[in-house]
Amino acid sequence: MTSPAEDVDVAAARPQPRRGVSLRDAGPPIALVVVFLVFAALSSQFRSIENIQNILDAAAVLGVVTCGITFVLMMGSIDLSSPGVMGASALAVALLVQNNRNDNDFGLLGVALAVALGAALGALSGSALVLLKVPSFMTTLGVSAIGLGIATLMFSGVQPNISDEMLGSWATERLIGLSYLTWIAIGCILLGWLIQRYTRLGRYAFAIGGAEEVLSLSGVKVAPYKVAVFTLAGAFYGLGGVMVTSQLGAGLVQAGDGYDFSAITAAVVGGTLLIGGRGGVLHSAVGVLLIVVLTNGLVQIGVSPYWQGGVQGFIVVAAVAAAVIPQRRRNQVVK
Amino acid sequence: MTSPVVARPAAEPTVVKGGPSLSARVTSFMPVIALVVLLAALTIADPGFFTQRSLTAASMTAAPLIVMAVGATLVVLCGGIDLSIAAMASLSTVFLALWLPSLGALSTPAVIAAAAAFGAVQGVLHVVLRIPSFIVTLGGMSVFSAIALVVSDAGTVPVTDNSTLNWLTLYLGGIVPMSVVVALLVVTGIWVIMRFTPIQSWITATGYSESAARLAGSPVDYVKIGAFCVSGACAGLAAVMLVSRNFSGNPSMADNLLLPAVAAIVVGGTAITGGHGSVWRSVAGALVVTLLRVGLPIVGVPSAWEQILYGAIIVAAVALTLDRSKVLIIK
Repeated sequence: MTSPAEDVDVAAARPQPRRGVSLRDAGPPIALVVVFLVFAALSSQFRSIENIQNILDAAAVLGVVTCGITFVLMMGSIDLSSPGVMGASALAVALLVQNNRNDNDFGLLGVALAVALGAALGALSGSALVLLKVPSFMTTLGVSAIGLGIATLMFSGVQPNISDEMLGSWATERLIGLSYLTWIAIGCILLGWLIQRYTRLGRYAFAIGGAEEVLSLSGVKVAPYKVAVFTLAGAFYGLGGVMVTSQLGAGLVQAGDGYDFSAITAAVVGGTLLIGGRGGVLHSAVGVLLIVVLTNGLVQIGVSPYWQGGVQGFIVVAAVAAAVIPQRRRNQVVK
Repeated sequence: MTSPVVARPAAEPTVVKGGPSLSARVTSFMPVIALVVLLAALTIADPGFFTQRSLTAASMTAAPLIVMAVGATLVVLCGGIDLSIAAMASLSTVFLALWLPSLGALSTPAVIAAAAAFGAVQGVLHVVLRIPSFIVTLGGMSVFSAIALVVSDAGTVPVTDNSTLNWLTLYLGGIVPMSVVVALLVVTGIWVIMRFTPIQSWITATGYSESAARLAGSPVDYVKIGAFCVSGACAGLAAVMLVSRNFSGNPSMADNLLLPAVAAIVVGGTAITGGHGSVWRSVAGALVVTLLRVGLPIVGVPSAWEQILYGAIIVAAVALTLDRSKVLIIK
């Protein structure tokens, strides 16, 4: 236990005076508490137990997707592939568990296969990045289109409705007040945190974001880790697609619509920098809660739900701008 | 006196290296080759394709895409990317449909001006706040979609009186659709303005090496804002074309044009690292993409493959055109 603690101290002490770092880390949780209290004061509906359950349930899918994208952002790359990956895995799982289109009944194996499909698409993005040397926002945009195409091929005009009880129960059954989906999300965040903290993959993802040149000059082969990170992210998106299917009771091509942007927003708001090397899964989890509380609260106080995306757009631009201001002088070139 | 002497030997190797290699030469003709091959293949697959009627129809489909791709090309030439063009065009179709009854013929310039203003705002945010362009425009994309949803109440806005937009659906000489003429005029206009003013050099310099351009005194910030502004205006014009054809505005009407537009730019051979490329390349790219779109059903490929093809094309084309000397670390 001592060595990780020491490492964290070193990492925190190196880049900046300690006070600045702790303020940066404390900012999002404070904002979460403030936003929560403001909405609780404004709306009596907001502060009800049921609504808090709703918020946590609504955060589940976004939490899993954000967990995946956090690793990519830590490397300093970007990932726009979640709509495609989620669409493909949503259709895959809907066709693999009990459904009205075919006689498959694979249960958990079907879920695993759908997650594996997500991981494969993630690996495709990662390989295109390291082999073809195409920037990640382009490869993932391409892979997103490929995923949507695969999903459309599997959809083939007839919506697969799931009748699988196990998958259906994920969204409806509750354990200690929270739906199974929420528990899955909590498990994923825990898993993500363990990977980030205790595995080489997580450490190297940080290091790649911090100083890739130094890492490769020290003899680390960076490329396999990059592919592995995208694969891991793809697996998380795949699980996200499965969870959406469980919520909707049907496989839809549009299962992942907008999740790419929401996940980036959540990660950035939580304190993960787009240039990499900062943040982490727990930061992102706070960001997810912040986004969901904000969305839920705005609806509760009577703002049109159509504004949701717009609010996220403003938030992400503001959060990135706030994160960039300390380094404005240093990096002159911004593409 | 010594400084020019030092500068000269340094300049020499770049001249030697500057000669295009075989692959570079092939890539630079790639869009035209692809266009010819596609036309030939489609004609073989369906002899009825190479007729004046179907070519007219295909070019009419291509017009909004050409305009959008050409506008965004300017941003790409500066080294950025504009992911908001499709959402901007969708928003513009809603504005146009809403404004037509009250503003009449004035609504077309009004919509284009509004889109240009939105584009300029994105440019200012990008330049002043130093936020990467794809984040600004990704944010812009969701903001524009939200505005379009709210303004239109998430529904289609019908256009009852189409008379002021009718001219776009006419045919010049009975053959060439008016929208294609407008698109080509816009491209020519942008090209002429760039070619005969310092703007071309400013844009190229910004794209190739922003720091060098800044040190050389190019107005880098204004060039970038201008590029985003033109990109927005072009999305607005594309929206006018879409409304004239569909008789309605819809908050998601142009959303599926983002990938084709990005594909058109990169297939044309404009490097997303900036500097290298031109607006005419994007015209060729847009024609290639349109032919693929029109052609796949002719060959009998299900339309789901269209998406997969766009994805593969984008990645492949970027891989071919990327200037690797500039980005040592690919993120």
